[in-house]
Amino acid sequence: MGARHTVVLALAAWAPFAGAASGPVDFDREIRPILSDNCFTCHGPDEKQRMVKLRFDTKEGAFADRGGYRVIVPGNAAASRMYQRISAPDKTKRMPPPFANRTLTPAQIELIGRWINEGAKWEPHWAFLPPRRPPLPRVKNRSWPRNAIDAFILERLEKEGLAPSPQADRETLLRRVSFDLTGLPPTAEELDAILRDRSLRAYENAVDRLLASPRYGERMAMEWLDLARYADTHGYHIDSHRDMWPWRDWVIAAFNRNLPYDSFALEQLAGDLLPDATPEQRIATGFNRNHMINFEGGAIPEEYLNEYVVDRVETTSGAFLGLTMGCARCHDHKYDPISQKEFYRFYAFFKNVDEKGLDGRRGNAEPILALPSPAQQAELASLKQGIESREKEMHDAGIPALEERWEKTRLDTLLPAPQDGLLAHYELDGSLSDISGHYRHGRTLTGSVGTAAGAVGKAADFDGETRVEFGDAGSFDRGDAFTLAVWLRPTGHTEMAVLQKVEDAATRRGYELLLDQSEAVPVLKRGSHLTLRLTSRWPADAIEVRTRERLIDGTWTHIAIAYDGSGKAAGLRLYLDGQPRPFEVLRDRLAGSIRTARPLETGNKTLGKTYRGQIDDLRLYSAALAAAEVARLAAEEPLRAALRVPPDKRSKEQKKQLHEYFLTYDAPEPLRKVHAELADLLARKERLEREIPTSMVMKELEKPRASYVLGRGDYRNRGEQVVPGVPSCLPPMAKGLPDNRLGLARWLLDPAHPLTARVAVNRYWQMYFGTGIVKTSENFGSQGEPPSHPELLDWLATEFIRTGWDIKAMQRLIVTSATYRQSSRVTPQLAEKDPENRLLARGPRLRLPAEMIRDNALAVSGLLNGQMGGPSVFPYQPAGIWEDIAYGDVYSAQTYYQSHGQDLYRRSMYSFWKRTMPPPALITFDAPDREKCTARRTLTNTPLQALVLMNDPTYIEAARALAERMIAAGGSDPARRIACGFRLATARKPKPAEVRILRDLARHEALHFSEDRKAALALIRAGESPFDKKLDVAELAAWTTVASTILNLDETITKE
Amino acid sequence: MACEDELRLALTRRHFFGGAGTGLGAAALASLLNPSLFAGQAPVDPKTGGLAGLPHFPPKARHVIFLHQSGGPSQLDLFDYKPQLKKYNGTELPASVRNGQRITGMTSGQSTLPVAASIFGFSRAGKSGAWVSELLPHTAKIVDDIAIVKTLNTEAINHDPAITYLQSGSQQPGRPSMGAWVSYGLGSENHNLPAFVVMISQSSGLNVDQPLFSRLWGSGFLPSNHQGVKFRSGGDPVLYLSDPPGIDRPTRRGMLDALGKLNRINAAVCRDPEIETRIAQYEMAFRMQTSVPDLADLSKEPEEVFELYGPDSRKPGTYAYQCLLARRLVERGVRFIQLYKRGWDQHNDLPRDLRLQCQSVDQPSAALVTDLKRRGLLGQTLVIWGGEFGRTVYCQGKLSDTNYGRDHHPRNFAMWMAGGGIQGGVTLGETDDYGYNVVENGVHVTDLQATMLYALGVDHTRLTYQFQGRHFRLTDVRGNVVKSLLG
Repeated sequence: MGARHTVVLALAAWAPFAGAASGPVDFDREIRPILSDNCFTCHGPDEKQRMVKLRFDTKEGAFADRGGYRVIVPGNAAASRMYQRISAPDKTKRMPPPFANRTLTPAQIELIGRWINEGAKWEPHWAFLPPRRPPLPRVKNRSWPRNAIDAFILERLEKEGLAPSPQADRETLLRRVSFDLTGLPPTAEELDAILRDRSLRAYENAVDRLLASPRYGERMAMEWLDLARYADTHGYHIDSHRDMWPWRDWVIAAFNRNLPYDSFALEQLAGDLLPDATPEQRIATGFNRNHMINFEGGAIPEEYLNEYVVDRVETTSGAFLGLTMGCARCHDHKYDPISQKEFYRFYAFFKNVDEKGLDGRRGNAEPILALPSPAQQAELASLKQGIESREKEMHDAGIPALEERWEKTRLDTLLPAPQDGLLAHYELDGSLSDISGHYRHGRTLTGSVGTAAGAVGKAADFDGETRVEFGDAGSFDRGDAFTLAVWLRPTGHTEMAVLQKVEDAATRRGYELLLDQSEAVPVLKRGSHLTLRLTSRWPADAIEVRTRERLIDGTWTHIAIAYDGSGKAAGLRLYLDGQPRPFEVLRDRLAGSIRTARPLETGNKTLGKTYRGQIDDLRLYSAALAAAEVARLAAEEPLRAALRVPPDKRSKEQKKQLHEYFLTYDAPEPLRKVHAELADLLARKERLEREIPTSMVMKELEKPRASYVLGRGDYRNRGEQVVPGVPSCLPPMAKGLPDNRLGLARWLLDPAHPLTARVAVNRYWQMYFGTGIVKTSENFGSQGEPPSHPELLDWLATEFIRTGWDIKAMQRLIVTSATYRQSSRVTPQLAEKDPENRLLARGPRLRLPAEMIRDNALAVSGLLNGQMGGPSVFPYQPAGIWEDIAYGDVYSAQTYYQSHGQDLYRRSMYSFWKRTMPPPALITFDAPDREKCTARRTLTNTPLQALVLMNDPTYIEAARALAERMIAAGGSDPARRIACGFRLATARKPKPAEVRILRDLARHEALHFSEDRKAALALIRAGESPFDKKLDVAELAAWTTVASTILNLDETITKE
Repeated sequence: MACEDELRLALTRRHFFGGAGTGLGAAALASLLNPSLFAGQAPVDPKTGGLAGLPHFPPKARHVIFLHQSGGPSQLDLFDYKPQLKKYNGTELPASVRNGQRITGMTSGQSTLPVAASIFGFSRAGKSGAWVSELLPHTAKIVDDIAIVKTLNTEAINHDPAITYLQSGSQQPGRPSMGAWVSYGLGSENHNLPAFVVMISQSSGLNVDQPLFSRLWGSGFLPSNHQGVKFRSGGDPVLYLSDPPGIDRPTRRGMLDALGKLNRINAAVCRDPEIETRIAQYEMAFRMQTSVPDLADLSKEPEEVFELYGPDSRKPGTYAYQCLLARRLVERGVRFIQLYKRGWDQHNDLPRDLRLQCQSVDQPSAALVTDLKRRGLLGQTLVIWGGEFGRTVYCQGKLSDTNYGRDHHPRNFAMWMAGGGIQGGVTLGETDDYGYNVVENGVHVTDLQATMLYALGVDHTRLTYQFQGRHFRLTDVRGNVVKSLLG
């Protein structure tokens, strides 16, 4: 009993579905995995690491005559050195040795002994042999199978003494197949329809309807996006945004038009190399551009160029070949027959891309395909033409001569700056003196003031610690008209006080000029709102206004504030760069005095930080300047300063400034007009070019980039130069195929290829049953798990090829099998015998993937917006989680700007995917971060998931919307309301006990909310969609809790 | 019998805090489980949710607090005292010292690489007499409780690969973070809090902060329940923790009771043990809604504690506040606490920004060690202080008497460690006169990882996870335990 019993247990343990222990040992399924996992590291394919020149990964190696002894003596375990060493009682002699950190269980040792005694039958690794179409097995229960799949499954069940489960009921089945084929639940009408359909083909009809739905393409794409590591940001370091949604939309469309898998794969791998490649075929090649891209300042381009190519190898081999080729990057593969050199030959296919090592700073990285609509194309052409003709006109006008003449005389004709009421004028050209004649000198309080290039001559530079004061300049009261004009170039990126004349921290009497936290503004800039306060006693007795637009960080802006002494915000004018600008009035209740004896000073830390940036040309007037006067200050003072500089000493900026001024104000009228038109056309072109979507694509370099074997995978360690090629364990490339990606793709899609079709159908199987026939769907190598049903896998693979790689037909085949249609209920016998359900004596019962959990809530509540494709959207997300980790500077995708309106209710696959901080609610439900190719998601069950479903506003809003539907459908009858909601969420009618529980909850909560209507209102206000005002708030709140409970049911988030 | 099956099934699935919280009374039955049932992965200890058989040997430390100083603090201005640099100040770094070291794209274009001596004073501290910069007066006071390592080293020269290397053992993304490995291996001692908690505080200098990435506390290929849970200062302390507006505790309880009953009805029909687990997870979530706010409620901390950690410790979101929270997390049995203090990337204006940064970091870091010690928790808590690399001896940008900047330097940088079996009062490793190369006792980042696991009673070569066929470990193919650091 002893030993034999152990063997049985171990077998069951290692692969619970392996053949009955009484039969002969199956080398491929039972022995190779043990050797691979425990011995190959030292006795495997890696030549450099191989110990005592002994290898077990080939037949020759395992059976070689070792000069006097044999490692394996077929038929005689006791005489075999291998068996002697693995079973050695002396620990120092026993294999594997301690440093290997692997130990064989007694069961494994016995199994190897049995295998040798049975004759040590050796087979090559199954996955490298082409699939052969097996005959359909004979089964006893002839009535159960509906198609070929079922024959294979049933044969195995009969062997194990198990019977298949009965078919799931129609509603459960429809819900299951709806999620599986479209990612969405069935509607109530669809449920009714299938219950009414008395035809034998009722289920098949539903399957056909689902396969024809555009939702099918979205659902299939969800799977592919994980493999293709699709995301909306670049991934490394600053992780700013990119646009790969045209590629994502190509994938959805490809599934919907049922593009055969060979074309689907070929166009993604090499669409650009097809003769007369269409834009769509080029977009498809984005598959191999979805990898992360870096532009970290200081990074070394060559290092990252290498990483991109390695990623393409890993992704291509993982997604299409089910091989972990990445393992051979640093050394020969430890388990599979792939040498390091072969890795770099495969790598060479992907090296020749016209790309940069560091890129992506501003959206997409080269190579890029622009995708203008026909209208955009036409507009762009016409803009270009307009620009060209005006540029020619400008060129022909002899501007330099005109301008030179103008420059010489213009200073003389320039009017002086407004002098009336001038109280103080600080040029800030290296000193703090006032040149107005009133001589109120400034002085430094802390730190030291630097000098920098200014808007008008030089400027005072403040480092964020330095502070100065300007004495009693600008001592105004509420009834005094005044103007404050100054040039600012803030660089603080934070809340800062710019200028203030304030009594004390308690009252803040006086006035102050503040900048708020700078935030991203379109096109890689940051900026802050400017706030002005006139205060008698903060906050009750004050005026506070704020600009609507932001001052751009690092850019000069002229600011003028003119106040008429009226004590009202309406008496304020705010000018930016000489133009009056609208502003927000935040406070308008000034009654008391604002006069203070405290000096005017650059801002201190009472609010935010001390000013950082430059200040130039500060002027104070005792009158409200007129608009024309302000405009002149802003335009003419910089001009005056530039003109005063001798022509040969003028900076580039000053020259440009003069040129612009001349063409804008002083050139002859026709020229001014052309200039204005040109500026407008250029701005329109820039705007249009920003609007034209682009997608990253593959594009070969004209001159090929050489590839080398890289020692330890390091870009600096170049070894032997290599040419493109495929691993020798796989069939060779046919003669005549080009040695580029197109040739590679054609090789991959040859019907005789051992892996391509198997890997694809295995993943389809995984989509429906949770686990592939090969559980390790990413690894078909010797460390992968052998197939649970090898003949079925081969039959499906050959069927896939036979049907011309028809993807839809394959899905139809699987979901119409009797195997798929079984009930998922677990019996004690099945739980005991097959806990993981690998034998499939029951249907799958699996928690839904992250995206479907949210999509389901949106769908059953009626909130779902079915719009397909386009740029990604920004649904609700807790505040601050991007900002917490972001670079906080001038790049995109650092700040989360939530979408509004219908974009909040798009399918989850359209949620913006920031790699370094992916959507938290999806991640909580095991969505991957999309940094690398993912073939399988883990499936966890955690309290954080409960928190999302209970508290995320997405689900509260959905619960309220569902409650409204329930009330509308059920009228005043609680049981009918419950039946409606329960059925929408689970596809079945609730049992009386379930109705009772929910009715009690509704009654209890209605009582509670009728006593606390404020709480009721707070609850039903969740989200942006309006609640139904016709309903009683307490009742709606109570039913929202009922609906929320339904959305939290295990059954709601599970495919039964 | 059915109960056993369910247990077996439940344990094959992934849990967040481990099996004990599921209420299945699993501990006694754990021995019935055949280890190899788990298809290549090790079995779970139902008491902690960690792996059965771990720790491998008696641990010194049960908790880790990693005070990650993100951006790369300057070892030359903090711990690696080089008085002779005054002599070399402004002279070109000799090529023989640089010795082919690659330089980042930020300084590779500079025509000169002038040596910049630190403008900060150093003095000997404590009984051990270790040299500490004037910027760290509080650290100087705990110097006999910490081991200073001057010779950490890495291969990465930029932030993304360097910080990813230090936190996950690989320069490229895709691997689990340290905390995830520890959570996977050792599980949690508290079933109402996650095993792995992360907190982030922002820069105290004026320069821009380097970004961080969720992969730094991610689970990589480990099940996602091992990823670090971020405790936040604004909004919910844990995402989605608070009941929505309008839902009070009794209402939430009522909903959960109804939900539990409904889930049990379905469990009786389909007999999937996953449903029982889900019910248990909802109960745990409910308890977390109390335990987390309780953790963050500092109102019962005495005044002297705030004085110890400094005035910032009252302000949520500051490093000081998070250090105090780290101590409270250790008290509650949380396994791995990772703090990220941003703002150490002083390419320019180093004298100004480093001072500001140290002002907000020095006191709370020292206070944490002091506080743990007086509560008797330091022995079982390993505290690690340091960043992803150090800074160059040569100046980035213009060198003046009062100002300089330093670029990234991977060859040697300083960290300190305390508690959890670490010998106090030790300074390990020597660098050359330029502070540019390790002269003796180099400690690679994977050695640090191996040593950290060792302190936790884990052999870094035996904590593995099979992914894509390979048995991965935190230290990949490297790592030596630095025994001389351990008491």
